[in-house]
Amino acid sequence: MALIATLLALRKDARILKLPPYLSAICIIVGVAWLLVLPLDEYSRNTYVSENALLPGQVHTYFTGSEHNIFRAYRHEVAGLADRSVEERTQRLSDIFRSSNLKVATQRYSYQAAGRNISNQNVYAVLQGPRADATEAIVLIGAWTNMDGQINHSGVALVLTLARYFKRWSLWSKDVIFLVSGDSTSGPQAWVDAYHDSHNPDTIESLSIKSGALQGAVAVDYPAGPWGHRYDKLHIVYDGVNGQLPNLDLFNTAVNIANGQMGISCTLQRMWKHGDSYQERLQTMLRGMISQGLGHASGPHSSFMPYHVDAITLQTVGDGWHDEMGLGRTVESLFRSLNNLLEHLHQSFFFYLLLHSKRFVSIGTYLPSAMLIAANFSITAIALWVQSGRSTSPIPNPASTSPPSTKANEKPETTMTAVKTPDGSTTLIPTPLLSITERALFLPLSFILFTHFLGLLPLYIFNNTPEPYLRLSFETTLALTTALPLLIARALSLFHRPTHQETTLIQCFSLLLLGMFLAALATLNFSLSFLIGILTTPLSFVRASRNRLVALPALGVLLALNPVVVIRAATVYWGKDVVEILVQAAEGWHVWGLWTQVVVWLVWWPSWFAGAVVVGSGLFA
Amino acid sequence: MDRQKVLLFGAAAAVRLLLFTAFPSLPHLLAGRVEVSTPVTSFKRLQEGLFLYTHNVSPYDGGVYHQAPLLLPLFSLLPNPSYYPFATNVLFTVVDLLGAQALMQIADSGQSVKTRLFESSRKELRWSSLAMAAGFLFNPFTIATCIARSTSALTNLFILAAMAKASQGASITFVFAIAIASYLSMHPVLLFPPLLLLCYHVRASKSASAPSLLSFAIGHAGALASTCGGLLYVSALLTGSWEFMRATYGVRLLLPDLTPNVGLWWYFFTEMFDSFREFFLGVFWLHVASYMPGLTIRLRKQPLFVAVTLTGVFAVFTPYPSIADAALYLSLVPLFRHLFPLMRYTFLASATILYASFLGPAFYYLWIYAGSGNANFFYAITLVWSLGLSVIVGDSLYAALRDELDVERPELKGKEVKRI
Amino acid sequence: MPSFLSLLLLSIILATVSAGSDYTERLLLRPLPQSALLASFNFRSNDSQLSFEEQNFRYFPRSLGQILQHAHTKELHLRFSLGRWDAESWGQRPWNGAREGGTGVELWAWVEADDEDEAFSRWLTLTNALSGLFCASLNFIDATKTIRPVMSFQPEGDHSNAPNLHLLHGTLPHEVVCTENLTPFLKLLPCKGKAGISSLLDGHKLFDASWQTMSIDVRPTCGIDGHCTLEMEQSVDMVLDIDRSKRPRDNPIPRPLPIEEIKCDTSKGYNAGDTCYPLDKSSEPSWNLTEVFGRSLKGACPLTDQEGENAETVCINTPPERTVDVNTTGSYIESRAVGDTLRCYKLPTGHDFDLNLPSQQMTTGLVLPSPPLSAARSINGHGQERGSIQTVITNPSPTSAVEFVYLESLPWFMKPYLHTLRARISASPENPVLETYYRPAVDRLRGTHLELRMRIPAASTLTLSYDFEKAILRYTEYPPDANRGFDVAPAVISLIDPAASDGRGQYVRTTSLLLPLPTPDFSMPYNVIILTSTVMALGFGNIFNLLVRRFVGAEEVVAGGGGLGALVRGKIDRLKGLLGK
Repeated sequence: MALIATLLALRKDARILKLPPYLSAICIIVGVAWLLVLPLDEYSRNTYVSENALLPGQVHTYFTGSEHNIFRAYRHEVAGLADRSVEERTQRLSDIFRSSNLKVATQRYSYQAAGRNISNQNVYAVLQGPRADATEAIVLIGAWTNMDGQINHSGVALVLTLARYFKRWSLWSKDVIFLVSGDSTSGPQAWVDAYHDSHNPDTIESLSIKSGALQGAVAVDYPAGPWGHRYDKLHIVYDGVNGQLPNLDLFNTAVNIANGQMGISCTLQRMWKHGDSYQERLQTMLRGMISQGLGHASGPHSSFMPYHVDAITLQTVGDGWHDEMGLGRTVESLFRSLNNLLEHLHQSFFFYLLLHSKRFVSIGTYLPSAMLIAANFSITAIALWVQSGRSTSPIPNPASTSPPSTKANEKPETTMTAVKTPDGSTTLIPTPLLSITERALFLPLSFILFTHFLGLLPLYIFNNTPEPYLRLSFETTLALTTALPLLIARALSLFHRPTHQETTLIQCFSLLLLGMFLAALATLNFSLSFLIGILTTPLSFVRASRNRLVALPALGVLLALNPVVVIRAATVYWGKDVVEILVQAAEGWHVWGLWTQVVVWLVWWPSWFAGAVVVGSGLFA
Repeated sequence: MDRQKVLLFGAAAAVRLLLFTAFPSLPHLLAGRVEVSTPVTSFKRLQEGLFLYTHNVSPYDGGVYHQAPLLLPLFSLLPNPSYYPFATNVLFTVVDLLGAQALMQIADSGQSVKTRLFESSRKELRWSSLAMAAGFLFNPFTIATCIARSTSALTNLFILAAMAKASQGASITFVFAIAIASYLSMHPVLLFPPLLLLCYHVRASKSASAPSLLSFAIGHAGALASTCGGLLYVSALLTGSWEFMRATYGVRLLLPDLTPNVGLWWYFFTEMFDSFREFFLGVFWLHVASYMPGLTIRLRKQPLFVAVTLTGVFAVFTPYPSIADAALYLSLVPLFRHLFPLMRYTFLASATILYASFLGPAFYYLWIYAGSGNANFFYAITLVWSLGLSVIVGDSLYAALRDELDVERPELKGKEVKRI
Repeated sequence: MPSFLSLLLLSIILATVSAGSDYTERLLLRPLPQSALLASFNFRSNDSQLSFEEQNFRYFPRSLGQILQHAHTKELHLRFSLGRWDAESWGQRPWNGAREGGTGVELWAWVEADDEDEAFSRWLTLTNALSGLFCASLNFIDATKTIRPVMSFQPEGDHSNAPNLHLLHGTLPHEVVCTENLTPFLKLLPCKGKAGISSLLDGHKLFDASWQTMSIDVRPTCGIDGHCTLEMEQSVDMVLDIDRSKRPRDNPIPRPLPIEEIKCDTSKGYNAGDTCYPLDKSSEPSWNLTEVFGRSLKGACPLTDQEGENAETVCINTPPERTVDVNTTGSYIESRAVGDTLRCYKLPTGHDFDLNLPSQQMTTGLVLPSPPLSAARSINGHGQERGSIQTVITNPSPTSAVEFVYLESLPWFMKPYLHTLRARISASPENPVLETYYRPAVDRLRGTHLELRMRIPAASTLTLSYDFEKAILRYTEYPPDANRGFDVAPAVISLIDPAASDGRGQYVRTTSLLLPLPTPDFSMPYNVIILTSTVMALGFGNIFNLLVRRFVGAEEVVAGGGGLGALVRGKIDRLKGLLGK
């Protein structure tokens, strides 16, 4: 308390107001630098398995010999179904499952997203563990088509073969569920939703057979055709929807088994070659952050994460000498490990950044960077607040009452936000000025509210526009959002010329909210918070200024950092089609419950908009 | 003025009913939030109690329903809220409006700045009662409580009513209101002494010949005791036995239900060693009660401030606090607008509360649903929240004392002071 | 084309065993689809009530008898169960489910006592004694796990002479049934597993079964002449996977068969040396008692009758065409019944006995009676705060409606909201719930007890669902594997069948559930105590510091002493005042 008191006492000092810009600058620089040093050995750690029940790679695997012949046969069967109708496919797969004495059921589902109709069928079979009492289950997924839309021939065949093979073992202490989903994103989502009964029964069929609580899920993605294909590495995909990650133990177990037991080297985040150098580590981390920040489903496993079911996808990549049986034995060993679990995975980390298949950074180490970025906005907001308070109290206060007066000036904002009183008529100045401040607070607040509600508009539009109109709506939004700040600023200057204090307050509130949102977001989805934080840093430095030499460049920078422009630039940079992205986003919204666009339109965009308007108003002032 | 009032109340009612009707799932969602509804105020538990009551199973012979018995007949008059929620929604909206009305009466009485024995030197610095009402009605915490239909809204109403009547010197209604409030949730009984004092001051200042404080106090205390006794007796008749005492007040005292809330007790007693549980229960309750005498004696000249500060204490240190209690305190504090200039940590504390109210739900989600965070996340936030509130309480108290000092010794006004 | 041979007589035959005789035992073997084999052992011993009360035990085990007398228990039912009965492919449950329990241990008994409290104290005595006798943690059945069912269970025995009986029921869903429970079970038998069919019971095979249940039932039966006997029935029912139990014990690993031993579908176009689409076996597997049970059957137990049908202690239930070779050195008698689908054997005494069924291509099969009801229960929703239970009960019979009692016994930390209870029947608006009995849980004192009498029309599905909330426990109340969750006992569905075959009734049980609870951080007690206390101390100290102190102007303090020292002190105090503010 004493420290705070001194700080508050220091507020008397006028010099203190010069400090905040430097403070926020330092915050940003340190935050970024912090992230950059993470890949160093001093700040990252080697992965380890902390749940000792898993015992990865401690069992001998027997998935060889005649199983290989059967696998080849099943792969031909799958290849034969490639061009059949969904019903035929479902029927045939169910028959194969049934022939190995499993309980089989199917599920139809259909979604509407961006004017598209996604409808398909899932087939799943339950192996009731002889030692199990239907309380726990683990899932093996083979999506019919993988993320790139290729038919997952060998993956599905492997699931079928393993189902037949696992049935012979008597050691399963959990049920094993084999799921062949219609596709890689909506299929698993429909299934897991229905499993937890949080689905819409009109469009998604309820499951006729259920088992116990899901303890883990593993998906195999091996699109090699009927004549097989030997692969080089296993690409382990682990990002969940909205940037949620599986327990690090699951990932480590997979790496441990594939690497140590089977001699298959593992890779992640599409880093096909990873020499474990600083650059490659950094690259891996950044790719991971971007993929986490986007929060999209990165594989069949992603849909399981929101239900607190840890899941990963094993994807075969490259040309090498490893064959399907190696993958099969990896899965076998992985399932033996999961079968050993006594408790739900809880030991290891849920928040981490992976730098390499054997190296990671835990939340304690990396969180400060995002928090610093978020803090810089709060600092600027406080500074702006004090500034606005100063500017409106021309009468020099006696030395001792001036600190109260400034503090009194804080009150409106705090009462405002904590208690939504439309009037912030709280300040310690004679009545004439009082009346002015009363009005002064009304405009900023209503403006901030307005901008944040305005964000709902594009959110709704982009989630519900059918595909053909998406490009049009996007381009119009691009144009509008670029022009709107200037128009609004002009309109303001025409109808009600905002005082300097008002513009300051507008900026102050928007930054305060931004800082708060980002701080909260950093705990949910670190990467998203960090990325948005970086992209909005200019907001804490631009000010409304009449000097065109200052204002125009600032405006230029802001217009360049318009969220819509940024999205456009990103699509250009990665050579993606913007419509495709938008369609995926709409699908995410309607199918996976993706929240990224909410953050973009209700946190990022409003703050940018407020900042741009402030700068623009400086021009027209 | 009056038109404004109608406008304000109409707007508040409209907002609530709109939220009720536009988002039919919202009440259910909010009623499930631990920050809004606690085991002793949850509307879902009330529904369960109501169901058992209407099916002739004693709602108190079970671990779910811990609320006052008289609520049962009251709500059993309304149509079943799970099918026809409208009547219940209207009821809770009206409750909020009445609360705002009471708040306006308190503000109009001017007891916050000028009592019989004390007159603040900054009394010109005030907000209109309308602004106060707006602050109460549009406080998101109040709205959330109303939408969640948590019964703490009723408690708040009766506390406000008691304050209003006390500040008008209306003895009977005051005693009645405070009795109902204490009957509903026990701890408001601690508000009786300061409000009694307030009532006494008002009466004394009105009538030329002030009655003796002692007889006044004894009379009112007797009235309070008999009213509470009456209520309890009726409840006993209603439920057919006295076991409701154990299920309602017993639960508040002994904390068998450790459902998380924004307070400090639940995690403490989750982690407490069994052998010390009773001891610490005693200590915690003693701690809560200890504020009342201290404040009442020191600030006997401004009893209303004591009462308001006590509501703040309740919002932090009672076993099952919710944001409803915080809402009550935060909308009462502006009564003392004239103290704001003297407060020192307002910005800090408010920012803390603001951050806590954003991070709390996020961390709770991480613990309960995502499973990626553990209980400490949410616990830390409850600590921060409580700290923020207690800082406001302490700071306003400092301001009040400083204000008194300025009256006692005007020469010190605006000078550095220190405590010895 | 399977021949339609009825099996209904079967249960009657098994039921009518015993009349009169003092000790009988019988083993029924029934090959099931998917190379499964149902083996249900049944042992009965009778003692007259008089000799029992005089503590003069012949066949009745003394250890158990004395416990029953001490705890004033008139009728006892004890169950140890493991695994799931696959009604879809195995048909009706053995004994109509009357001789099985939910996963883990289930115990219910009629105790003679004057009032509830006495009954409960005797019940505790009983559970503690039994836990010692059966090496099971029955002593953990405390008040929170005990309920008093009102509709679900009816006494099997004849209690005309015992007026005030109390029924108590307790379950331990988390209890793992294993070999240490089998040994005391065998000890209660007159032949102690040395001879007779009990010599087949081997722990390893029994607990490698896909489904198995051990039961002990004690009940008094009175004849018309008023002569009462105390009947004790022990039974073991198990479904063995023939392939699995035929594996040698020293090498149980199911290695992939050599490709030669797999029958490939040569009709497939891609069929080749390295590609083989497996055909599922159409022929019945070959097996014999010794390899399936891992032991040989050591002749008859000499205590059983030597004549009459009770002497035929091993029965096998197969289509007539199935060849069954008997392999023994002693003399045995084979008799056939129920249209030759049931072959019973009188065992030789003192000589090993073995049944040998060769692999065989079958043209006819047995029609397994379909179960009267099938039930599935699951927890919906996710998150550790609340959820909802959903039970789906199906009545397959196209003609007859079924009336039944649904019993739930939930732990106290799972708080159901009865006002959210919904029971819907597919394609019919009528409310299936006829009668409800509900006793809500009290924290740490007793669990929830819910009984619903319901009626489900022919060929329809009943969906029952209710919400519940999960309590957070004190950190000392969590088990070591807190993050696994807590087991919820299976729901018991007892059919109210006017045409009940025998006095036992018909039961169906759901599987148990796993209930994950929110967990605190177990490493934190000290930190929590310290941090919380700190926050409270800050509030308290801050406020009372203000209350008890008095304000004075800062200058006045300094104004006190003169001189340099005072001046310095004044400065320091001023600074302090500044900081302290």
